[in-house]
Amino acid sequence: MEKPKQSSVSLFAATRAAAETHWRPSVDIYRTRHGWMLKFDLAGVRAEDVAVEVRGCRITVSGVRRDWLIEDDASYYSMEIAYSRFERTVELPCQLAHPRVTLEARDGLFIVRITEA
Amino acid sequence: MAETENVQILPVLPLKNSVLFPHLLMPLSVGRPASRAAVEAALATEEKEIVIVAQRDPNKDVQSADDIYTIATKAVIKKMARPNENQMELIVLGVERVVLLRLEQTEPYARARVRSLPLPDEKTPEVEALHRALVELAMRVLQLAQPNAPVEVTQLLASADDPLRLVYLLASMMSLELSKEQELLETQSRGDALRLMHGYLSNEYQVLELRNRINSQAQTEMSKQQREYLLRQQLHAIQQELGEKDPQQAEIELLRERLQKLELPEEVRKEVDRELSRLERLPPGAPDYQVIRTYLDFVVEMPWNTFTEDNLDIGRARQILDQDHFDLKDVKERILEQLGVLKLNPEAKAPILCFVGPPGVGKTSLGQSIARALGRKFERMSLGGMHDEAELRGHRRTYIGAMPGRIVQGIRRAGSRNPLLMLDEVDKLGRDFRGDPAAALLEILDPEQNKNFRDNYLDLPFDLSKVFFITTANTLDTVPGPLIDRMEILRLPGYSEEEKTEIAKRYLVPRQVKQAGLKPEEVAFEDDALRYIIARYTREAGVRQLERTIGRVVRKIALRHAEGKIEPVTLHPGELADMLGPEIFSQDELRKEQPPGVATGLAWTEAGGEVLYIEASLLPGGKGLTITGQIGEVMQESARAAQSFVWSHAEELGIDPAVFRDAGLHIHVPAGAVPKDGPSAGITMATAMASLYTRTPVRSDTAMTGEITLTGLVLPIGGVKEKLLAARRAGIRRAILPKGNEKDLRELPDSVRGDMEFVFAGRIEEVLRAAVPGMAENLQTVKAG
Repeated sequence: MEKPKQSSVSLFAATRAAAETHWRPSVDIYRTRHGWMLKFDLAGVRAEDVAVEVRGCRITVSGVRRDWLIEDDASYYSMEIAYSRFERTVELPCQLAHPRVTLEARDGLFIVRITEA
Repeated sequence: MAETENVQILPVLPLKNSVLFPHLLMPLSVGRPASRAAVEAALATEEKEIVIVAQRDPNKDVQSADDIYTIATKAVIKKMARPNENQMELIVLGVERVVLLRLEQTEPYARARVRSLPLPDEKTPEVEALHRALVELAMRVLQLAQPNAPVEVTQLLASADDPLRLVYLLASMMSLELSKEQELLETQSRGDALRLMHGYLSNEYQVLELRNRINSQAQTEMSKQQREYLLRQQLHAIQQELGEKDPQQAEIELLRERLQKLELPEEVRKEVDRELSRLERLPPGAPDYQVIRTYLDFVVEMPWNTFTEDNLDIGRARQILDQDHFDLKDVKERILEQLGVLKLNPEAKAPILCFVGPPGVGKTSLGQSIARALGRKFERMSLGGMHDEAELRGHRRTYIGAMPGRIVQGIRRAGSRNPLLMLDEVDKLGRDFRGDPAAALLEILDPEQNKNFRDNYLDLPFDLSKVFFITTANTLDTVPGPLIDRMEILRLPGYSEEEKTEIAKRYLVPRQVKQAGLKPEEVAFEDDALRYIIARYTREAGVRQLERTIGRVVRKIALRHAEGKIEPVTLHPGELADMLGPEIFSQDELRKEQPPGVATGLAWTEAGGEVLYIEASLLPGGKGLTITGQIGEVMQESARAAQSFVWSHAEELGIDPAVFRDAGLHIHVPAGAVPKDGPSAGITMATAMASLYTRTPVRSDTAMTGEITLTGLVLPIGGVKEKLLAARRAGIRRAILPKGNEKDLRELPDSVRGDMEFVFAGRIEEVLRAAVPGMAENLQTVKAG
């Protein structure tokens, strides 16, 4: 309820504000024989809450993580997992001519496969 | 999605003193039970959304919708931790602006129905302009607030492409009051928000600028202290004026008053005014203060326009001069001439005289009596041993302890612009690396230059052309030529016995009697007694020793008087011998019998004339000429010339050449320790040699002086009067002089002239005939040949 004491112009506030307002999932990127494989760390995110957008060689994965495990007789003691909107954009070093994208969600990972025709 | 839902019912977290803006993160610390409950309720939802709203009164718990603002921010709780049981630490992220429609419940925590309230999206040129202006202003503020801010911050400010985000970002960076933050949150459009923020930021900018100015003012405070000190001094002066006068200010006032009264030349006036105003501005503790003070005092005391009226009564002047000094006709005449000139032409330049003569002849006292006769102030300074030019001309004021030169000091002491300045012992000026005081005298004594004499200390032109300069010297030999050239030389040769007797009778005895406290009628000296003292107890050109001796006699009589024997005394020579002890100089000094080879010469010294003997002797088996007795170069050459003449004219002189062929010659001039020089002993040495070689003695009552040439001519010499007086003192009654000096006899007192026999010689043969009677026959034949 109380903001920490600040100087007249606070750089602390500024740098914190600079942080992304959306959280960014981690991603592994693989080169495959026919294209690319991207593995996003999206534990606890429902597949239907994820949107993938491919524009040129720029791939954006965004969505929201909802806290679906809420029990009536439990209350938070501490919370570190971000339950809010996320967004991650990856740029690949190529021009994807006619990309084919397949999505798969498995064990908390969200896998995007891109194959060139 | 959450944003698109228009109306939601969400837990409400009231903040006591701040506002959360959308798109910004904020750390929160939650302690109130109701708030903790609200947070827990929010965390129990999938979206973890909560409404953050500011309380209207921080000290009042939320009971109704009236206790909180209606415009709030919907936020997502990003992180939560509990440092202890009753405390929650949150990080919340503002999502969007909402309006509170209704407070659904307040217990156990507040819940409200909210509707999102986005701002209309406007992209007008005005917003764009405001946006840019705000970015620029923000940069300036940042520069002022934190000159070393990291680059990221400025980049962040510049990169915020939504003006609203920029406004919120800036608001979070500034510590605005709650009401202002809330006002910013409630604005209806982006334009309004930008304008509002611009206003806040401008204010911040001014505050920062003022702060910086105050800081830099504090830094210049040190230099201001000086000014403040001066102002304080002035204040002090004013206070003193109201009550009692500050002694220092009074001093300056007095000085100013005195300066005002002086009739100063224009140039001087300007300089003095400048110095005075400098003095006023200085604090009395300043090192320069005393320097300027002393300087101005000195300037005030200088007689810029004070003259003494010359007494032009020639009769009275003559009377005064005669009263003070016996004889010295030439000098007195010259002074009276000057008086005559001044009477006819008051603008005449004062003369520059130089009295040259042996010690004790009255040069200095003559100066005094001239001043008395003219009615001028008299100042004398001795230049003897002075070797620093700055003593005459002063030091520049930049030096510590600088003083004006002796000339200017003398004039100040005299207190008049036309005093008689006596510069004693001008022949004894020193000269070393510090400068040549004689050179400085050149300017001072030049009537063309000394009209604008500039003393280094005074640094103002002062007119010396009306000053009557008299210099004194014992000899001119050591006085530089240019200096002699500027002065009119008046010689005061020594006194003869008769003159001394007269001087003693008229001046010395009365003075000594008076000093001893006796009455004039109680002591009387017979003339014989005075002559006895002069002859037997003194040997000098002047009368100092004579006066001292008379003083001794008078004191002995004073002692007798003090013992009660008060009958008047008349002193005879016999009595004096008892009082003064054995005679110091005996008349017998004259050598009665002289062997061949000894001749009597006459010499001139600074102390008057002197008799000297020249001894020549053969050195059997020796060769050449040996001369001893501290002989100078000129005298040695003179001896060689004499020898050459005698050898080359051996036959005419009746000398057997074998005598000098087989033997060397030694000439000695006693006293051996006294340096001697000059050509005037030439004929004496020639005579001594001739006498030696012919084995005929020289007349012992005859003294001689004169320069000799190789051909035997006798050339005139100087100092005739002194030499003859000395000869007479020594009891010599016959003198051989060069023909060219015949005219100098006029200088001699009649008594001496009548008492002595003079032989004037044009050639050495005439000298020999007069001095060596035994050679006369041989010489006759020479002359015939």
